[in-house]
Amino acid sequence: MNTRLWFEKFGSQVRGVFWSRTAQRIKVVLLGRSISDGLLAKLILYLLLSIVAYLYVQPILYMISTALKPLSDLLDPTVKWIPRVVTWENVTTAIKGLKYPEALRNTALIAISCSIVQVLICAMTGYALAKLTVPFKGLITALVIMTFLIPPQIIIIPLYVIYSKLSLLNTIFVFLIPAIFGQGLKSALFILIFRQFFKSQPLSLEEAAKLDGASTARLFFGIMLPLARSACLVVFLFSFIWYWNMYYEPSWFLSDNFTPLSIRLDRLEDVLNPSLLGQRNTIDNPATESSKMAAAFMIILPPIVVFMFLQRWFVSGIERTGIVE
Amino acid sequence: MKTKEILRQKRHFHSKRYGIGLLFMLPWLIGFCIFVAIPIGWSIFMSLHKVTVVPGGFKYERFGMQNFKDAFVVDNIFPIELITYIQQMLLMVPIIVIFALLISLMLNQRFPGRFIYRAIFFLPVIFATGQVLSELFTQGAGDIPFLEQYDLQPMVEKYVGLQFATTVMDVLSRVVLILWYSGVQILIFIAGFQTISPTIYEAVRIDGASPWDSFWKITLPASIPFISLNVLYTIIDLFTFPLNPVLQHIRDNMFKIDTGYGYASALAWIYFAFIFVLIALVLWLFNRSMNARRNRS
Repeated sequence: MNTRLWFEKFGSQVRGVFWSRTAQRIKVVLLGRSISDGLLAKLILYLLLSIVAYLYVQPILYMISTALKPLSDLLDPTVKWIPRVVTWENVTTAIKGLKYPEALRNTALIAISCSIVQVLICAMTGYALAKLTVPFKGLITALVIMTFLIPPQIIIIPLYVIYSKLSLLNTIFVFLIPAIFGQGLKSALFILIFRQFFKSQPLSLEEAAKLDGASTARLFFGIMLPLARSACLVVFLFSFIWYWNMYYEPSWFLSDNFTPLSIRLDRLEDVLNPSLLGQRNTIDNPATESSKMAAAFMIILPPIVVFMFLQRWFVSGIERTGIVE
Repeated sequence: MKTKEILRQKRHFHSKRYGIGLLFMLPWLIGFCIFVAIPIGWSIFMSLHKVTVVPGGFKYERFGMQNFKDAFVVDNIFPIELITYIQQMLLMVPIIVIFALLISLMLNQRFPGRFIYRAIFFLPVIFATGQVLSELFTQGAGDIPFLEQYDLQPMVEKYVGLQFATTVMDVLSRVVLILWYSGVQILIFIAGFQTISPTIYEAVRIDGASPWDSFWKITLPASIPFISLNVLYTIIDLFTFPLNPVLQHIRDNMFKIDTGYGYASALAWIYFAFIFVLIALVLWLFNRSMNARRNRS
């Protein structure tokens, strides 16, 4: 009796100590600045991150695995991740169905040209809002933020009519011209990023340049823009990716031959399976699932490659631009 | 005479400075008028009319507020979808922001190989938009298996009530895709943490604060602006979520003969109004909390 009581007490004490320790460790892992203490802390950190990373990567793995499966493996419930036979047939079907080289060219053309324009125009606008004297600056800044809030669904029909009047439909200019006039995809966000960056630059720099006789244009293109390298990279990458992936606008403005990858992915089912045309309910048709996954993977492959090359600068760029106040 | 001369020079100087600023702003201003202001005005005009497509253009019929009334009285799908989606958003926004906060706290630590992890967590930024996402979603690649395995539905119903159970289950069933939507938010948080001076942490550590304390006393209060920024960004981002039933409904109505562009525009404006109220509410709340903090210190 006595021993049992003692035992329980001892047990609860041990448990108490144990729990308080663990809690402490978890606290350190989650919130600590001094991460260097203890292997356990690091292990838990790695474990947590790995679990979430797995959740993140899993759909991509699913994409790859499904893309390489033949139909028999796809229907076989015992085959989960690794196909019995790796087949490249789906990939070739997808390339044919998407008309990949042509669509890739279209998408790349839109994404690269528009994002370069975006960088330049948004930098100019952001600079004007940050450093130059512009009448009604506060109002204009509010309008910039407002353009970010206006959903494309509200203005898409008028835009469609405007573009068709200007006979721009089915050309790259549908995206290039708004971008030139500072109304590209999410341009408001980029303008604000640049505004923030230029605001954080010291005034003395400009004054020094002005004293040396530099004009505003010279100051901007010669000094400010090169200084904003990291902001430019961040804006370029975001803009590139968003233009690459955009679906809604092209689904309105580009319909004939000049279509990007996202539209062709959406129509892939109809292309691969013309007999089912119009029956959108049969979306998870197993016969074309693998090809569609292959197509989806090939669409995101180019941005992933670009991102892998640039990510180191990208991340450090984000940290240095002071995107946030 | 002399003062006049100075005034003239001053005006000249000002107009020159204004001129350069305007020159820099000019593309944006023109673009705003053509590609934003005119379409918005037109869209409001259309929402007040019954628009029918006739050969060579549109035919407008005065309709007054009828479109807006119809949205709530005649249309029996739109109000339900709107309310459901806003409910879902109210659940999704905190999930995304809190998740992004936790992940960015972890990624902000110094440990070997963190570049690899960072790369992975920014990966969704690449394809969490657009068609690839909805393709994945229709094929169920974003599902998490435990939802069906453990049959969570009755439990959820028990805790949150029948009314919200479907909302909660909907959100849970696509939680992976929702987490994918936190790429940009993680970036914003990480960038935000860089603005907190490390000397503060050192100072409180010397004063004997535990990491737990320093999180609640320093990191969290300092990140309130970034939290508000992220909440706003998330709301705007979810606003055009590709799997959004409201947008689908608006799009469907554009091509229906009996409703058409006028009605669709009205629906879009109603949707916008709801989101706008939500954004205003968030801004007001954060402003208040910031002011309260400032007054206390």
